[in-house]
Amino acid sequence: MPTEASKTDDLGAWTEKILPTDLAGIRESERDLLARLAAVGYDEDHRFAVRLAFEEAMVNAMKHGNKMDPSRSVTLSYRVSPERVEIRVADEGPGFDPGGVPDPTADENLNKPCGRGIMLMRCYMDEVAYSSSGKEVRMVKYRQP
Amino acid sequence: MKIQTRSDGGIQIVTVIGSADVSASAALREAFLGAIQVGTTRIVCDLGQTDFICSDTLGVLITAYLKATKRGGFLKLANPQQHLKEVLETTRLNCLFSVYPDVSCALADS
Repeated sequence: MPTEASKTDDLGAWTEKILPTDLAGIRESERDLLARLAAVGYDEDHRFAVRLAFEEAMVNAMKHGNKMDPSRSVTLSYRVSPERVEIRVADEGPGFDPGGVPDPTADENLNKPCGRGIMLMRCYMDEVAYSSSGKEVRMVKYRQP
Repeated sequence: MKIQTRSDGGIQIVTVIGSADVSASAALREAFLGAIQVGTTRIVCDLGQTDFICSDTLGVLITAYLKATKRGGFLKLANPQQHLKEVLETTRLNCLFSVYPDVSCALADS
């Protein structure tokens, strides 16, 4: 069962959830996050970008981090303010080097079915940073006019 | 997400309605790869009513494209709306797939 908590600092309230490794479980958190974005007026372009990056981060954590091991969890944290949305996703896998992921837009990689998630996160969010262990990603999207 | 299929002049038209997210990838895989497996290798994917796509479902389209072309067929994309068009451009998959403004254009070029 997912667990949920909330804590606040000077940039707003964090919602934190510990989710089982189950792709079907992504949807509920995604709906909540998108509803919060809509509630404070983020437009469709911003909501599409955040949805895409969120889904890529969660799928990466479950598939590549936790290797779909149901005994492992994903820790999801997010907070939404009228100015920005910040998302953190941490898995329980061995970690990885994001710099070692091949460029999926290179001609020789275009026909590979995998490997586009991190690139999409970087393109659609304003900030994407991995922890030194490679187990946690932090993403920020600023609301722009 | 819903998938509708129809045939036009021997070409299978697969219309994807709604969000092609990770929860939809299994159904999409079955629709495309199932068709190819029974010899339907000339396919147009109508994205006009698709409001979301992720890397997982892009991977399904790429796998189907490779299998179809290997068997002498094709997988063309038609009518992607603005957000999907941007994803295809960002990933440079518009260089891999033939992308048409609508299904009629895709059929006419087949």
